[in-house]
Amino acid sequence: MDISLLAASDHGAHAVEPWITYLFTGLLGAMVVCLALEEKIHAKKSVIVGVTAVIALLLGAFTGILPFGPVDLPNGHKMNLPVFIPGIEWGVVTIILGSSLFVDVTSKSGLFTFIAIKLTKMSKGDPRRLLWFYGVMTVVFSAVLNNVTAMIIVGSLSAVSLGKLGQREKLLGFLLVEGLLTNIGGLLTLISSVPNIIVGTTAGIGFVTFFLKAAPYVFVATAATIVMGARVFGIESLKTDEERAVALGQVSSFDERDGIESMGFFWFGAAMLLLFICFIASASFEGWPIGKLGMGFVAMMFAVIMLCKFKSSVGKFYSGIDWDLLFFFIYLFIAIYAMEQAGVLELIGKGIEPIIGMGDIFGGGLLLVSSAVASSVTDNIPLAAVLANILNSMNIANDSGMWWSVIFGANLGGNLTPIGSASTLVAVTIMHKHDLKISFMGFVKKALPFAILHIILATAYVLFVLKHLPG
Amino acid sequence: MGSLDQFESAFNAAAKEMFRPQPVAIGRVLIVHDLPEPLQDDFLYLAKGFLSTLEQGGKVEWELFGGSERFAVKSVLDAVESYRPDLIVTYRQLHCDAVDWQFGLGAHVDVLTQATTTPVLILPNPDRENLPNHMLKNTDRVMAVTDHLAGDHRLVSYASEFTEPGGTLYLAHVEDAAVFDRYIRAITKIPDLDTDTARAQIKARLLKDPNDYVESCRAGLAVQARGIRVDGRVKLGCRLSDYRELIDENEIDLLVMYTKVEDQLAMHGVAYPLAVELRETPLLML
Repeated sequence: MDISLLAASDHGAHAVEPWITYLFTGLLGAMVVCLALEEKIHAKKSVIVGVTAVIALLLGAFTGILPFGPVDLPNGHKMNLPVFIPGIEWGVVTIILGSSLFVDVTSKSGLFTFIAIKLTKMSKGDPRRLLWFYGVMTVVFSAVLNNVTAMIIVGSLSAVSLGKLGQREKLLGFLLVEGLLTNIGGLLTLISSVPNIIVGTTAGIGFVTFFLKAAPYVFVATAATIVMGARVFGIESLKTDEERAVALGQVSSFDERDGIESMGFFWFGAAMLLLFICFIASASFEGWPIGKLGMGFVAMMFAVIMLCKFKSSVGKFYSGIDWDLLFFFIYLFIAIYAMEQAGVLELIGKGIEPIIGMGDIFGGGLLLVSSAVASSVTDNIPLAAVLANILNSMNIANDSGMWWSVIFGANLGGNLTPIGSASTLVAVTIMHKHDLKISFMGFVKKALPFAILHIILATAYVLFVLKHLPG
Repeated sequence: MGSLDQFESAFNAAAKEMFRPQPVAIGRVLIVHDLPEPLQDDFLYLAKGFLSTLEQGGKVEWELFGGSERFAVKSVLDAVESYRPDLIVTYRQLHCDAVDWQFGLGAHVDVLTQATTTPVLILPNPDRENLPNHMLKNTDRVMAVTDHLAGDHRLVSYASEFTEPGGTLYLAHVEDAAVFDRYIRAITKIPDLDTDTARAQIKARLLKDPNDYVESCRAGLAVQARGIRVDGRVKLGCRLSDYRELIDENEIDLLVMYTKVEDQLAMHGVAYPLAVELRETPLLML
């Protein structure tokens, strides 16, 4: 993790008793189990990780492993900060905060609903064409916005439009395919998912490089998922002219302009979204002053610009921020920081060493598959954070396929179970909301063939294709 | 972060009800009356003149049933069953000595409107005097009333079919202000809901859907090229008094409304009070 800006004075420079390391490892294990059982224990992620962070800091203080003392600033000055502050990855926090706010305010322009409804009308109500359009839209929205927002937009539209078309029985198939595609779309850019942000920034992978390396896989996996989804769930094209005429009439009644309150704000939102993508992409260019401020700054800057439109009522946007998610990150970084001081990451790193030692082919493949399996039953964010930290501490080269194994594994593991990622959980929530009963095992049974396909494709891609791509 | 409900609401709002014309064919009309023979032709002539617009769609067969001899409700239903009309024309309090009392429609009309699937046109009683000048001359000002206009394709299709070419079709939708106020009063007691926002947004949404539907009817009927002007009257108010006011101020010739509701024997919502009170206005009850 890149915490060079505010480095603690004696960061990681002490020996730790083995029993302390094991104690903290047990604490980390308990946190992972609680996160996996989040629904059962009725506790929000932020609370689970917050409790872990508090216990870790208390234990750290009592065992004397925490690096208390002033931190060094780049200008040579020293500054007194709470011991846990340098552990927080503020770059990641500001990217998530800024882009969430930006997307939330931009959605008020009606831009996303306009695009979604326009595509629905372009499908002429044909289910097979609708699946293709919604699938591609899911991937693009996941890439540009975030997985959860993409699933919310496309999933809720699927429920409404299939209801309108009298094709409600196909909703389960649509939602499942879209849920799986959010995790594929989440691979497209550096800011598409949190594991990408964490691993990518740790490895120093730029936005453009990330896109160039990930895009071919996303393209192939998206097409394969939609084709397979159409077959598995029997999503066929309409057969007769009469059916086509009825469906066309039904989708024609959608008014894509209904959510647009002001055309000026609509075009402003569209322009800002394009600029946002350009600025985020260029933030990793060397010599570009904004790049020095980082992607977090870019995200916050665009959020503030958009908020100017609602300058007298910004409170509603602040209250709409997913504080559970943000505090989850903050507490998680603190907990991992304490674990790092306790030597837990070093211990896990030793466990992973044999895998990495197997070489690029076997090691990379095994790392990808094990990351996917691990992230299918627990949150992929702590997994990505821990693994990124370990790879960093092992001085793995920035262009190594190991980083990509973690990125692909952490993202695609979410497709194995309904709790594997936040967006598949949203897909299941929409299913339940529309009385489509699906159990944990029912989801796994339906999603497993897709997930296996994705992981096989990803493994082959990371091991044999990625190294030949530019970047 | 946009919530699931937020986006689902946005898409539900965008999925509008578009007017889809329904086929309306009036080829056979059954007139049910309690008139003595000498007056029957006059009433038939009056009905034919009033509904002359129906003849423009093709030939209409007219059949009379009844007379001054008292007849049972069952015999009217049998006549409907055997003649199978597309429209029944009648008036209130057939063979009823309460004809001068303004408190009901009479047993025959009650049963005809609810027990048959055939639309029933109720004219003012033939012996009723002091009708407004415009009444019973033609149907160039027809009003469809409902508390659920958006998506009422059949209601609008019937109303437009009975509107003379070049006439005006009023589509009226009055949301009950008393019910609305009761809900808002409940919201004022719920701390989690902002009362002013709820009041403004619920009202706007309640009125937007029927207004959008009126626009869609206007576009849909323009395609039929019958020169019918569509005028929307959508508001929040007191249904009975507001409908009455709209009818008076626009000199409505024919009021069209639903009377049947699935799962209930009684007339639909505001239809019964309107039918009882608007004794001078012809009513088409679907």
